[in-house]
Amino acid sequence: MEDRKVRLRIYGMTCDDCVATVSRGLRNQDGVIDVKVSLKEGIAEVAVDSAKVKPEALLKNGVFTKPSHYRATLVDH
Amino acid sequence: MGEEIKQFDLIILGKGAAAFSAAIKASELSNGEMSIAMVGTGPLGGTCVNVGCVPSKYLLESSHAVFRPEHPTMPGIYETRVSHDFGEVMKGLRSYVSHAREVKYSQVIDNYTNVTLFEGLGKFIDKRIVAITGPDGKELDRVKGSNILIATGSHPTAPNIEGLHDTGFLTSDTIWELKALPRSVAIIGGGAIGLEIGQALLHFGSRVIVIEALDALLPQTEPEIGLALRSKLEKEGMQFHLRARINSVSRSRDGKSIEIITHRGKEKLEAEEILVATGRQPNTGSLNLEAAGVRTDSRGLIITSDGMATSTPGIYAAGDCVSKKMFLETLAAREGVVAVSNMFGDDMKIDYDAATWAVFTSPQVAGVGMTENEFSKKNGACSCRVFSLENLTKASIMGETEGIIKITVDPRSNRIVGMHIMAPNATDIITEGAYAVRKGYTVDDVIATSHIFPSISEGIKLAAQSFIRDISKMACCVE
Ligand SMILES: Cc1cc2nc3c(=O)[nH]c(=O)nc-3n(C[C@H](O)[C@H](O)[C@H](O)COP(=O)(O)OP(=O)(O)OC[C@H]3O[C@@H](n4cnc5c(N)ncnc54)[C@H](O)[C@@H]3O)c2cc1C
Repeated sequence: MEDRKVRLRIYGMTCDDCVATVSRGLRNQDGVIDVKVSLKEGIAEVAVDSAKVKPEALLKNGVFTKPSHYRATLVDH
Repeated sequence: MGEEIKQFDLIILGKGAAAFSAAIKASELSNGEMSIAMVGTGPLGGTCVNVGCVPSKYLLESSHAVFRPEHPTMPGIYETRVSHDFGEVMKGLRSYVSHAREVKYSQVIDNYTNVTLFEGLGKFIDKRIVAITGPDGKELDRVKGSNILIATGSHPTAPNIEGLHDTGFLTSDTIWELKALPRSVAIIGGGAIGLEIGQALLHFGSRVIVIEALDALLPQTEPEIGLALRSKLEKEGMQFHLRARINSVSRSRDGKSIEIITHRGKEKLEAEEILVATGRQPNTGSLNLEAAGVRTDSRGLIITSDGMATSTPGIYAAGDCVSKKMFLETLAAREGVVAVSNMFGDDMKIDYDAATWAVFTSPQVAGVGMTENEFSKKNGACSCRVFSLENLTKASIMGETEGIIKITVDPRSNRIVGMHIMAPNATDIITEGAYAVRKGYTVDDVIATSHIFPSISEGIKLAAQSFIRDISKMACCVE
């Protein structure tokens, strides 16, 4: 297992429920180990097993694709 | 210089079509939350609205308004001289450009509070940090972006011809400031820009001479169209020197003198003014792309994937600074959308195969997809038909039968792979070709689709029918 931290800029979060929804969505993705979401900064820090999930694949998580209104971009590449 | 580096979600280098469409798309996708730094110099809107599409089309339309009444095509309608003031037309043009810039760019961007405008040129410090410099090269600011879009466009170039710079010349950047109509203009370069501005000046009454290095006009289109357009423009009085090389340019008693070499030998041409329209170069030279690891081709154009990603992750490019074949406002805007969507994890790709292009002369020329030659070269064989507007009722009524519609199909599937048109409103009806190429429609699909009679668009249906019957022996409205 290769641990890697990926930072995501998350758009569309307005409350703690949003934080919970986004965190849950990310946590359910295969290869995601841990998720910390900051509502204030609009940033998620995601620990991933880089053998299992590429950073770009996090952007395709169901919580960031229609009909969900949350969207994300990578902070570091 | 500001003390700290300002942090943004997205930096856009440029303020033109690609930059605006990207900024708006990014704002939409992020619910207006994405912080965007838009960096650039000069007026908002870049080339298209200020010195490109908009003023050139304004000039053409106003010139036709003068020319057409003086050249009626119907019996019983007599030549009417249109009194006009070229200086006032140009004032109107500049005022329209200001209005279009204000309404389509300045007021639009004011609505996006997430976008911060920076005046200055961008220069990469590394793959995330960009320095913004003023006209004197002094650094004004530094910005850092999680994603960066390069949309710095291009500028007109002038060939290295002896005496050209000392003699002076106009380009598509400077011609819009003209106060009086030059009696004669020599245009170096017979591409879309040269021909559009050339015909506009011709229609206002200038003597126009076009000097072109190639042996045909508009090599991107079907040769029949290049020939037909040349013949039409020659009839209107435009002079062409094809396969011509310019030896030198100098000042003369009445204006400017150009020595050219053609198969006839050396010739001297005289004109009051020279317009250089030989091509454009990308604005990438001062970006310090090496510091960001962004690769360019031999012409300095940025190499991208079909998702508009450059060689450096997180850096995208769009518009006239990208390495590609066609340089259009429409493509710049689309590429901006593709780039930004992919920053959000989409897998969007730019589709150049179904991109339409146009030359707004009268008649207009427009095309989409492959020419007969391109398809044959790639696939060994193709099937095509050339339909003359002489067989089209609407064109005959209008007295504008100098035009053709050429359709190329893949003989294996009957699918349309290219459509090229010279017709009064080719720029409007080419969209049918764009659908056909994009969706893979066959000539039978076009034939089965209702077209208005009599219209120029009916010509596309007749061109499609010419694959199955002899059009010259066909009555009106045969299905
Ligand atoms: C005469 C003429 C007629 C045309 N007619 C048509 C037409 O009818 N239809 C059509 O589709 N296309 C037409 N075009 C082409 C069209 O105008 C361009 O394809 C389009 O405007 C390109 O947009 P862009 O955003 O890539 O670049 P631009 O609009 O050129 O914008 C580039 C921006 O980048 C800025 N910039 C430059 N260097 C830097 C730097 N280092 N840092 C930051 N910013 C920088 C510039 O100041 C500018 O704001 C025409 C072009 C010309 C010249």
